[in-house]
Amino acid sequence: MTLREVVVVGGSIAALTAVETLRMENFDGRITMLSDEELPPYTRVPLSKGVLAGTESIDEVVLAPVAAEVDLRLRTPAIGLDLAAREVHTSAGPVHYDGLVIATGARARRIGTPDQDEWTLRSHEDCARLRNDISRAASVLIVGGGFLGMEIASTCRSLDKQVTVIDIAPPLDRLLGPVVGGFVRTTAEQAGVRIVVADGGVRLLGSPPSAVEQTDGTRLEADLVISAVGDIPNVEWVTGSGIAISDGILIDERCGAAPHVVAAGDVAVMPSGDGALTRIRSWTNAIEQARSAARALLYGDDAPGYRPSHYFWTEQFGLDVKMVGPLDPQGAPDILDGGLDHGAALLAWPDRAAPRQIVALNHHTPPAKLKRLLRGSPAHAPVPAKSAR
Amino acid sequence: MQIVADRDRCEGHGLCADTAPDVYDLDDDAVVVVLHPQVPPEFERKAEAGARVCPVAALRVTP
Repeated sequence: MTLREVVVVGGSIAALTAVETLRMENFDGRITMLSDEELPPYTRVPLSKGVLAGTESIDEVVLAPVAAEVDLRLRTPAIGLDLAAREVHTSAGPVHYDGLVIATGARARRIGTPDQDEWTLRSHEDCARLRNDISRAASVLIVGGGFLGMEIASTCRSLDKQVTVIDIAPPLDRLLGPVVGGFVRTTAEQAGVRIVVADGGVRLLGSPPSAVEQTDGTRLEADLVISAVGDIPNVEWVTGSGIAISDGILIDERCGAAPHVVAAGDVAVMPSGDGALTRIRSWTNAIEQARSAARALLYGDDAPGYRPSHYFWTEQFGLDVKMVGPLDPQGAPDILDGGLDHGAALLAWPDRAAPRQIVALNHHTPPAKLKRLLRGSPAHAPVPAKSAR
Repeated sequence: MQIVADRDRCEGHGLCADTAPDVYDLDDDAVVVVLHPQVPPEFERKAEAGARVCPVAALRVTP
C-alpha cells in the first residue's frame, strides 16, 4: 500500500524524531502531529536540573521548530483509535492515516488519593509551578530515589534547602547497581541529603502534602513533598481498539503494534533479551526507537530490527554518570581507567573482555565510544545492518 | 543556514553526531564540534535533525 498520510500521535522527542526520520528518508506525503501539549516539542531533561534551579531559562527548553510543512496540532489529544477505518479520533473529529506512529509517552505516577494535590515533575508546566514553590520552601521531601528524585534532590541542595529522599529501597541501586549507586548516595549524603529507606512504603499526608507516614507510624514533615515514583504509559485512548496493551503498547522487533501502526518511546513496551517485557524510559531510547519505528512504517520487513543501545545518563551532586547496558550491574566491576576513589572512573561489568555494562563516572569518554565498546562485546548479540549510518 | 553550538551547555551525549555525522562531531572531551558552521544546502535537513535531538538544547539552527 502506498503511504500518503502519516499521523504521529504525541508531542515530545519520540514523536518529533519519527517526523524527522520520515523527512530524512524523503517521505513526501502528508504528516500530521497530534499533541496534547500547550507547547511545541521541548526537552524535559533540564526540567529537574538547571531550569528547576532557575539557572537556565525555561524558554530555552523548546527544541528547534518542526518543518513548516508538518501539520502540528497542539492541544489536540487523541481520544480513540479505529484500526479498521484507519482513523485517530480527536475532539475536533477523526484524522485519517495510512500509517500511524504512537508516541504518546507517559505521565507521572501518583501515590496520593485523587483529592490530594500531589506534586510531581514531568511537564514544562509542572516545572514552572514547582520552582516557584521550591523558592519559598525551607525543606523539601522527595518520595522516590530514582534518577528524577535524586536529580531534584541535588537541585534543591544547590538551592540550600533541607533535603530528604525516602524510598522503599536504597536510592539508585536498581538503576546503577550497588557499587555506583552506593557511591552516588554517599556523595549525596556528604552534600547534606538525608536518605531514608522505608521498606513498607509511605502514605502522603495533607493537600498539597506536607508530610509522609511510614507503615510503623513514623512521620516525616517538609514544606514541600514531591513524588518522583515512576510513570504510567498513556495508553487509555487505544483501549478496546485491538492494540495489545501490557503496561504500555506492546511492540514487535520492528516497533510494530498492528498493521500500519508502530509505537516508540516511553509508551512502548517490548520483550528484552530475557523475555521480560520492558519499557526503556530514556531520551536516547525515544530517539533510536522512533527512528526505527518510522523506518519500519516506510520499509516494512526490509527495515532493520530494533536493538536498543541502552545509553542513559544522570547528573547530580557534581557527578556525571553515563551508562550503557541493561540496568543494575551486579558484582565488582573491572576498572578500565581511574577509580571511584579518584572521583573519575571508567568501569565495566563483569569484565573488560565481555562487558555487559559500562559506566563512565566524571569520565570524558564520548558516549559513541561507550556504545562501541559494548557493541563489540561478546556479551551482546550482534546488531543488524543499519542503513545510512 | 547557520549552526550555533553552546559548548558550555553541551554535555557530550553525542546524539547530534549519531544523527548527522556529516555535520557534527565530538572532540576529545566529548564536546560538540560543528563541522560546517555555514551549512551547505545538501546538509540542511541533517543539520536540523541533529540539532533537534540534543537533550540539553545546546544547538541552534538559524536560516
